[in-house]
Amino acid sequence: MDQFYGIFLYVISLLTMGGIYAILALGLNIQWGFTGLFNAGIAGFFAIGAYVSAILTTAPSVRHLGGYELPYIVSFVVAMIVSGIIAWGVGKVCLKLRADYLAIATIGIAEIFRLILKNETWATNGPRGVSMIPKPFESLPEPWNQLAFLGLILATVVAIYFLLETARRSPWGRVMTAIRENEKSAMAAGKDIEKFRMEAFVVGCMLMALAGAFIAHYLKFIGPNATDPMTSTFLVWVMLVVGGSANNKGAILGAFLMWTIWSASEILTSRLPDELAIRTAYIRIFLIGLALQIFLQRYPKGIFPEVRPKPERRVNPAESPAGR
Amino acid sequence: MKYMGKFLFAASALAMSAPAVSADEIKVGSVAGVTGPIAELVDPIIAGRNLAAQHVNDQGGLLDGDTLRLVLSDSACDPKAGVDAGGKVVNVEQVVAVIGASCSGATNGMVQSVTIPAGVVAVSDSATAPSISELKDNDLVFRVAPSDAYQGAALAKLAYDSGVRKLAMTYSNDDYNAGIATVFEKEFAAMGGTITANQAHEPNKASYRSELSTLASGGAEGIAIFAYYGSSGIAIIRNSLENGLFERFFAADGMFDTSVIEQIGADNLRDRISITQSASDYADTSYQAFETAFSATGKDPKAPYAAHGYDASFLVALAIEKAGAADRGKIAAALREVANAPGEVIRPGEWEKAKALIAAGKDINYEGASGPVDFDANGDVVGIYSVNVVGDDDKWAISLLK
Repeated sequence: MDQFYGIFLYVISLLTMGGIYAILALGLNIQWGFTGLFNAGIAGFFAIGAYVSAILTTAPSVRHLGGYELPYIVSFVVAMIVSGIIAWGVGKVCLKLRADYLAIATIGIAEIFRLILKNETWATNGPRGVSMIPKPFESLPEPWNQLAFLGLILATVVAIYFLLETARRSPWGRVMTAIRENEKSAMAAGKDIEKFRMEAFVVGCMLMALAGAFIAHYLKFIGPNATDPMTSTFLVWVMLVVGGSANNKGAILGAFLMWTIWSASEILTSRLPDELAIRTAYIRIFLIGLALQIFLQRYPKGIFPEVRPKPERRVNPAESPAGR
Repeated sequence: MKYMGKFLFAASALAMSAPAVSADEIKVGSVAGVTGPIAELVDPIIAGRNLAAQHVNDQGGLLDGDTLRLVLSDSACDPKAGVDAGGKVVNVEQVVAVIGASCSGATNGMVQSVTIPAGVVAVSDSATAPSISELKDNDLVFRVAPSDAYQGAALAKLAYDSGVRKLAMTYSNDDYNAGIATVFEKEFAAMGGTITANQAHEPNKASYRSELSTLASGGAEGIAIFAYYGSSGIAIIRNSLENGLFERFFAADGMFDTSVIEQIGADNLRDRISITQSASDYADTSYQAFETAFSATGKDPKAPYAAHGYDASFLVALAIEKAGAADRGKIAAALREVANAPGEVIRPGEWEKAKALIAAGKDINYEGASGPVDFDANGDVVGIYSVNVVGDDDKWAISLLK
């Protein structure tokens, strides 16, 4: 009985982390999937969200800025706003760059943010990180506290999904795709592409900050190692690409699938003799790469490829833009 | 999807079938930063943990001859992975206690989100962040590794006692080294010494010449280095000597490795470097018992925290035996009893003796390889430190700091 209860608790934790990654992947999907912005600096906005929310909710501490003890809802919103403002500034400078240059610039900017957070010891306790972050619902008994937190995450994922689906079908979403596919023709159609790209970038970065805020409360601790680019930028890219970029269902599926592979593979490797178990720890990293290869061979456009919204009124089906 | 279905089925079948524990196996989680930034330091620590488990199993096992099995899980030195790894061993593997999770950040996350809520005792063998002492842990978090506060103070005293009054300092910007550096700076100043310059550096740079020139400009008599030898420490010493910037070095245990002498040269370092190390009393019988056994595995018994790994693992085994059942709550309560006085002294490797004493209802007091491991109210131990200098045989000569 304990065994099944344990597995039940583990599944809750898998879904919680998967859900947090789904928010990251959805944020990236707005930027890359719909608008074609190559943001390789997810970790930076993730870190900003995590630290802002952590500092706003913790009890006073001599080690870092804090003692505001604000309600979660305020800290989540502020984390998103701060990230949005910073993203706007970054966007002003960087969004004129084309795909690959934007990627390099965003990697650099994310590292700058991470280094600032790591070195401004008075505010963030530097490399030692912020500890004793409160967690929503933690006063409830087990397993209800974990279930309630999972509920919060999943509800957020679902809400974001419906918002993004509406946005995708709206004229706004269609302009985004037009920009991704052919900027010049979008411009020729009279669209202010700078403005649209900025909107996509800012909204995406705000979602990344929300995911960061959730992770800080989930772990009850945030430090520079938790925002390392390997697991907070590149893993998110893998999730989105495997799930299917430009498809919100794909982003969510990719997040849950890749996190499950990442986490659950160890349950198998930990059964090996110790010498091997130490080596297979590295194989798990290799597994993510292998999974990416296999899924891309099988599903070149991701498990759920992009589906273009149908135009509301079709005058002449032969001229519909469906066959892109 | 056909293949994926098969894969998932196979994976879930394995996952479901394997944890069905045979009645004679008691599992303890062994969470460590197997991958990640300190992978090379973690290897001997895991070997230490495993050696203790082997001693237990070779000398009659736990309780009624049950096997102690350490379930390894990777914390990657990352709080996300630490929480995930802790969740797996506690929930899926149903361990009765957890050792780990190596880095302070990963440990901090793991104990707060997983082990404390689950009521599982966690014994850390290498997390040294002072913030861990302050957690509201229901007496479920213990450390056999001393908090940084002790090593920073020990090194400051060593430097001051050696007659140096003006020091520059630099630390690698990670949780471990920054923590010791902060304490060092405060303590050295409190004794009356002066820190002329203090600068963080990022590890893994090709050269530290520019940082060192800045640091040397304040007229310091030497430099205190808080870094891991491989990622920046050796480069800092080399750059200092090559450019004649510093000739006297004080360092904490991240710098302790034979490769420092091999790469810089014993003659270049003689009478110039002093490294403190969270250590064992090498003259102590407990340590020597561990040293003999651990050397037989082909690993270096003086590797940082290897002895602590052994002690954490052995203590958890003693607590299980004392508790008399594989029961999480009872084990947590028994841990302090077996570690602290009063009681008959038990040393590393003496499992049979300990088992007999516990069976006879006698108190025991484990005196570990890393020190007496007596837990205070926070679950912390007082540190013992050694100082390492280059000896006449061109190897590290170790003596205990009093």
